[in-house]
Amino acid sequence: MNWLSLSGRQWRSLGKFLGLFSLCCFLAISCASRQTTQPTGSPAASTNSDRIVLGTTAKVRTLDPADAYDIWAGNLLYNLGDRLYTYETRTTDLKPQLATALPQVSEDGLTYKIPLRQGVVFHDGTPFNAEAMAFSLRRFIENGGQPSFLLSDTVESVEATGENELTIKLKKPFAAFPNLLAFSGAVAVSPKAYEIGEGKFKPSTFVGTGPYKLAQYGTDSLKLDVFDQYWGEKPANQGVDIQSLSSPANLYNAFQTGAVDVAYQNLDLDQIQSLQQGAQRSGWQVIEGRGDGIYYLTLNLQDKPLDQVLVRQALAALVDRPLLQQRVFQGQVEPLYSLIPSSLDAYSPVFQKSYGDGDVAKVKELLAKAGYSKDKPLQLELWYRSNLTSNELVATTLKALAAQRLEGAMTIDLKSVESATAYQNLDKGAYPIFLLDWVPDFLDADNYIQPFLACAKGSEATGCQEGASKGQGSFYYSDRVNQLIDQERQEQDPQARQKIFAEIQNILVNDVPFIPLWQNKEYLFVQKGIEGARLEATQKVPFSSINK
Amino acid sequence: MSRSKALQYYIVARLLLAPLMLWTITTAVFLLLRATPGDPVDVILGPRAPEAAKVALRTQLGLDLPLLQQYFNYLGDLLRLDLGTSLTSRGQSVWEIIQAYFPATVELAVFSMTIALVVGVGVGILSASKPDSVFDVGGRLFGIITYSVPLFWAGMLLQLIFAVQLRWFPLGTRFPATIPAPQGPTGLYTIDSLLSGNLMQFGVALYYLALPCLTLGILLSGIFERMVRVNLKQTLKADYVEAARARGISEGKILWSHALKNALIPVITVLGLTLAAMLGGAILTEVTFSWPGLANRLYEAISLRDYPTVQGIVVFFAAIVVLASIAIDLLNAYVDPRIRY
Repeated sequence: MNWLSLSGRQWRSLGKFLGLFSLCCFLAISCASRQTTQPTGSPAASTNSDRIVLGTTAKVRTLDPADAYDIWAGNLLYNLGDRLYTYETRTTDLKPQLATALPQVSEDGLTYKIPLRQGVVFHDGTPFNAEAMAFSLRRFIENGGQPSFLLSDTVESVEATGENELTIKLKKPFAAFPNLLAFSGAVAVSPKAYEIGEGKFKPSTFVGTGPYKLAQYGTDSLKLDVFDQYWGEKPANQGVDIQSLSSPANLYNAFQTGAVDVAYQNLDLDQIQSLQQGAQRSGWQVIEGRGDGIYYLTLNLQDKPLDQVLVRQALAALVDRPLLQQRVFQGQVEPLYSLIPSSLDAYSPVFQKSYGDGDVAKVKELLAKAGYSKDKPLQLELWYRSNLTSNELVATTLKALAAQRLEGAMTIDLKSVESATAYQNLDKGAYPIFLLDWVPDFLDADNYIQPFLACAKGSEATGCQEGASKGQGSFYYSDRVNQLIDQERQEQDPQARQKIFAEIQNILVNDVPFIPLWQNKEYLFVQKGIEGARLEATQKVPFSSINK
Repeated sequence: MSRSKALQYYIVARLLLAPLMLWTITTAVFLLLRATPGDPVDVILGPRAPEAAKVALRTQLGLDLPLLQQYFNYLGDLLRLDLGTSLTSRGQSVWEIIQAYFPATVELAVFSMTIALVVGVGVGILSASKPDSVFDVGGRLFGIITYSVPLFWAGMLLQLIFAVQLRWFPLGTRFPATIPAPQGPTGLYTIDSLLSGNLMQFGVALYYLALPCLTLGILLSGIFERMVRVNLKQTLKADYVEAARARGISEGKILWSHALKNALIPVITVLGLTLAAMLGGAILTEVTFSWPGLANRLYEAISLRDYPTVQGIVVFFAAIVVLASIAIDLLNAYVDPRIRY
């Protein structure tokens, strides 16, 4: 049909049709918007008011516990599933979850016997038992997912030695092993819904034993329904709807307009500050939690002049953490004086004791000993990840600090590179100093020490040739530290372990292969009238306690 | 050679050239991704993983093979229409990703384009039919402003006004998490909700489409307004139009029946190309409005160095652009008898 040659009458008919169609659309929109808007006009109110709407900018790459290795996926798995062990509310103390007690450990520290809970069923109705738990852990190890090395490096075998008893044999003693079993991926999954085999993942489904079951996995939303047959305490809400927003600005506005009940993860610094300031006026709650993620400088010990310990110490003395806390982060981080964060008992603020913050006299003294002065300035190159705005601000502040306070005795050149490139080149020794961050896999001091300071192959002369410290781009090697890490991993007595960690931290502060800077804070923003929201010490948000 | 025969040859030639264009794009994307610094394994595992774990993952993903072998494997898979499996959400094929995200992009593009076309052509006609009047000046201003305003800026501004301040529209996203999303064969929420007879879902889908589509549609309408205005003004001065006037045909009939058809021919070209560009380049709109479309997903895949996903989505978009370009040429050849092959 040649629509351009329609007659006037045909045009009128078409006009009438379009008019009626538009009217229908308008009526449909009007009816629908009344059903889906809050009294404020916000579109997020649920038709079921007992459900919680959580907004976040965090992306879900996969929900397969054998392949999930990011914070948000861990948070979802924490709520959807159960592990053998979890943490007491607001603490880092382990408590049994699908286990009924802490494990019985053999004298050689290699065999762990774990009694299991009875009467638990998976979301698909399959009964939970030792075979199912063994299946879940074997799948985690054998499917070769991103975090599989966490268990495959440690575990020799997993066997069901009874209907409700699991026996795990380790390759070598590891005192923090029960903490590792609390890792979000070590969750029980239904043997009927999953299979073991390299690369056999199910990224968009989840069948576990937790208080919620996955009802819908969408491209921008997830629906979690309450699991009626849950063995433990029932959730205080009827379910959780998770809305993914692509930018912090959208999340900020969504929370301000009441489109989401709870806002979590990745708001910008000024948005957090704005919501904090508006909390009293608007009645919403700001829940602040000490994070367990740490930020630090990696110093490449194979690079000149960083091969001189005095230079590294001078840089450590220059860092002014309270200045970074206030100027860059508006108080939204905490200064960190060890690689171990202050939330763990083993924390010792060794860098504060030895170097203070921005101690100019000490920096000058150390530089002079190393042979540097105004006339012969120390030139350093500091790298950071270009895709992280805050890192750029920190690097700029450190550069300005050196320029302002040291009268030319130290100059810092800034260079940036995208994360993907940085991670590729870090262990090749490409960067002299790099600003990095670390999020632990499990909450034990070992996870802040071993992945930084351990070295499997190397010597004091050659530096680390193979191992964790090479991976971090530091190339630090110390026989003593390697021995101490082995000792703390074998030591079952918590007090004795603390002493070992104290000694490691003392070596760290003298050798300075890394300079700890700050540990993050987590924020949860909750609308007025919503109760029970909290942030755990593990940075997890338990959905089941939130209610309207 | 007769016109129909020539048209047939033209169609065959264009269709034969399409695979060549796709192969060129495919190869360029493959090589560019490999030339980009950053290894997917390092991005996936980060600096924390032991070297053995990285080596194992690299082998598992086939990234340890020589580049040429990777390339031929990729081409072989592509010929079988196998776009591979995502490196980051393993277990999920790239086709599944496209199926999950593309409908959102299509829905946004089609509704926006409809608005752009209606508004742009409408304002263009009004502007051209009343030269040098207030309508003409207003139309010209409208065209310049909408054409030059950055999309992300306008999107954020309109969101602030209409979603945050006035609260007339929702803030981004495609559908509220609180309501079950429409399920159906097309993946287009408006169509699927109508197919299932659920008017409430249809209304919600339109409600969520409204602001991003209006923003994008009005900003794009400037292109059409300018094109229609210029072409229509020229057409209205053409000899055949003068002849029509001399025969006493009314201005309305001249406009609607004689001039508009010719003036709209170039619009078809722009419409097709803009639609194709919108499908591939809607990332700013999708990010601004938290729209879960394929362009947004492509951006994530690039930052994660997810080679198969990036390659698959780019090839998919390239195929659309190539097909759209062929379709436009054929349509132009059909509707405009002046075109020679």
